[in-house]
Amino acid sequence: MNPTLDLLYRLADDQLILGHRNSEWNGLGPILEEDIAFSSMAQDKLGHSLQLYSLLRALGEAEPDTVAFTRNAPQFHCCQLVELPIGEYDFSLTRHFLFDHAELLRFEALATSSYEPLAQVARKLRGELKYHALHANTWMKRLGTATDEAIERMQRSLDFTLPYALGIFEKTDAEAEIISSGLFVGEDELRGRWLESISKVLAQTALEVPDVLALTPVMGGRYGQHTEHLQPLLDEMAEVFRLDPTADW
Amino acid sequence: MIHSHDPRMNRLGLPDAPATAAAKGALDQFGTYEAFHQKKEGAPFVYVGPVHAPEADVAFLFAKEQYSRRFACTGLWVVPTAAITVTDYVGDQEWAYDSLPLLTNQQAAATATADPRFGDDTAAEEAAYAAGEEDYDIFHLKKRGKAHQHVGKVRANSPAQALQVAKAVFGDQRPVVNVWAARSADFLRSDDEDRDIWTTTPDKKYRDAISYKVQDRIERFKAETGTSQAD
Amino acid sequence: MYGSASTHDLPTTALTGLENEDPILLAEFEARINRGEKIEPGDWMPALYRKQLTRMIEQHAHSEIIGSLPEGTWITRAPGFRRKMAQMAKVQDEVGHAQLLYSAAETLGKTREEMLTDLINGKSKYSNVFNYPTPTWADSNVISWLIDAGAIVNQLANAKGSYGPYCRALDRICAEEAFHLKYGHDAVVHLATGTPIQRKMMQEALNRWWPAIMTFFGPSDKMSVHTEILMRWKVKMASNDECRNQFLDMYVPKIWEIGLTLPDANLRKNEETGQWEFTEPDWEDFKRVINGDGPCNAERIAVRRAAEENGAWVRRALLTPKTQYVRPLA
Repeated sequence: MNPTLDLLYRLADDQLILGHRNSEWNGLGPILEEDIAFSSMAQDKLGHSLQLYSLLRALGEAEPDTVAFTRNAPQFHCCQLVELPIGEYDFSLTRHFLFDHAELLRFEALATSSYEPLAQVARKLRGELKYHALHANTWMKRLGTATDEAIERMQRSLDFTLPYALGIFEKTDAEAEIISSGLFVGEDELRGRWLESISKVLAQTALEVPDVLALTPVMGGRYGQHTEHLQPLLDEMAEVFRLDPTADW
Repeated sequence: MIHSHDPRMNRLGLPDAPATAAAKGALDQFGTYEAFHQKKEGAPFVYVGPVHAPEADVAFLFAKEQYSRRFACTGLWVVPTAAITVTDYVGDQEWAYDSLPLLTNQQAAATATADPRFGDDTAAEEAAYAAGEEDYDIFHLKKRGKAHQHVGKVRANSPAQALQVAKAVFGDQRPVVNVWAARSADFLRSDDEDRDIWTTTPDKKYRDAISYKVQDRIERFKAETGTSQAD
Repeated sequence: MYGSASTHDLPTTALTGLENEDPILLAEFEARINRGEKIEPGDWMPALYRKQLTRMIEQHAHSEIIGSLPEGTWITRAPGFRRKMAQMAKVQDEVGHAQLLYSAAETLGKTREEMLTDLINGKSKYSNVFNYPTPTWADSNVISWLIDAGAIVNQLANAKGSYGPYCRALDRICAEEAFHLKYGHDAVVHLATGTPIQRKMMQEALNRWWPAIMTFFGPSDKMSVHTEILMRWKVKMASNDECRNQFLDMYVPKIWEIGLTLPDANLRKNEETGQWEFTEPDWEDFKRVINGDGPCNAERIAVRRAAEENGAWVRRALLTPKTQYVRPLA
């Protein structure tokens, strides 16, 4: 695939699927105020994906609604991390923490991408991503230093989630060209920055951080290999849309 | 299990006839923080409402989305509810400062030296801080039913004195139906460096009434189908 | 969103307890309201005023949090980006409104813990319409448009009431609901003027919801218990019949103009009186549902309870020893 398309699809699909997942918490959060904050961030992610699909549209791909609501799992390029069910709040927060750090750093790097439309989008998202990271860090620090119960839950979630989080940085065949053309600094570089960034926060908690780079990453998502959770998610998301994909909803 | 039309609820696995839930314990919902927002650069901070939160940093996260997600905002303060000292509420035509206890001559003199006008003499200011005085933020309510608005800071050695100083400093303001005073150190305030977190609202058109314009579609429909059934 | 569920448990004049209140304070209180001034939390107020307002604002808050559920039913299935994001924002707003209203009720002395406990144990009421299901996307759109429209009629009236914190919350809520109403109308119009599948879905949803919508403002004033004192104190601001008539006046023409029909052969405006005529809603069924025997009562409560229970460990973890509670100020 063309490196620009390859990169945009990965970014957009990650945002769409995680935004969708996080929206499942709407009305079910642990505190009313947190319910509101978490929903805002889910909406932001949907908004990011829409902007990225719009860039794809400008490059000749189908309409954002068509791309988002009519493809099946094998055509999706998201990492497997984002498609996992919401689980309990510890998992959803841990995923939010691990993903949003990568997201913040990724868009920081993309702000100087050689593909100017993408660089523009990246610069625009900065304010939102800053809040997401602030939210994630505050929660991670609070729960990671709280009751034994909370620390144990967060530790379990961290151990479970880290291998999936490494899947964020799965490279595709286009990686070399993506780097050489100045589109993006590359997944290895991003992973290094991410590890440093999450480690700083985790060091302020009672959580034990394993040797992250020694873990076996959960890969495959970027090539359309997904968990059993993605197709049902897509079927649910598109249930109404697919009643008549040509209709104006 | 309850079968729901909502797939999310079916994933929750709701029991059919749940037993009575235990009453929530005290503080299950924490204490509260009061939030103040700034609508545009340079405008005074105005009271928007409380959030329940365990700590100021969490209160800030919560207040930001509860009180600034839908309308323009350029800054946010949160302060524990318990940290605010409140005067009596008086009628819309009265002056809340009149409800403060009258000062003895000695107290009045202390108030006068505490702060004739805030922050115009560095040496005197340092001496005052060294003597235990602190800054207080003062808010006025101009009319019942409206919201408290920040009017400025004073320096004082207690909330009671802060109100007395405020009476002297902001005494020309009318009407005032209620006054709040809180130690400036008790506030958590948004950072100037983080201004970009406030610039995102205008892009979220899907949350604006004006982005839903459906009249053309209605007219087209009426033209295509002839007169509506109402006629 | 809000409906006048509260009108069912108003006191009769015999039970007001006013004879125990200090007559001078009571006269001052009533004079303040007559002057058009708002009552604020620090003021003296009759016990009955405090009790009725607490109940009313609390029920309103419950109606928002429970009211987020029937539309939340479609949050993961809203068709297309525009609808998906707006549906999320709307459900989020309902939760936000609950937060605002619980806070307003707290200024009267009932804690949020007590209110949530009463909700999940079925002790408190909320707007009865939310005990009905939303089996299709179109049902959710009916709520977004017409239930919110009804709520706005109610809330604009209540925003002119006498209690400051409630008014402040309602001002904010009404400003946010402007989006809800437009969004709901937009979604309904798209279905009603769309493909045959869409139109059928819309008409069926409207037929399902119309009887509930007609009960939204509560029973006819001639059937309601005495509310004179609450009107005088500006706790209850508009009569059920006035609100219903205003709603019908504003929205029936908008429903008809997009080719939808309403399942009431008697529905028509009497041009001489300016009043709408309609088949009297089935108030016996209404009572049965509000007392717990509706299609979704059990689910609504079970969902709230599950949310509270699943989040309990998070709240326990965040609690710090120095935490203290004082009532929100305003």
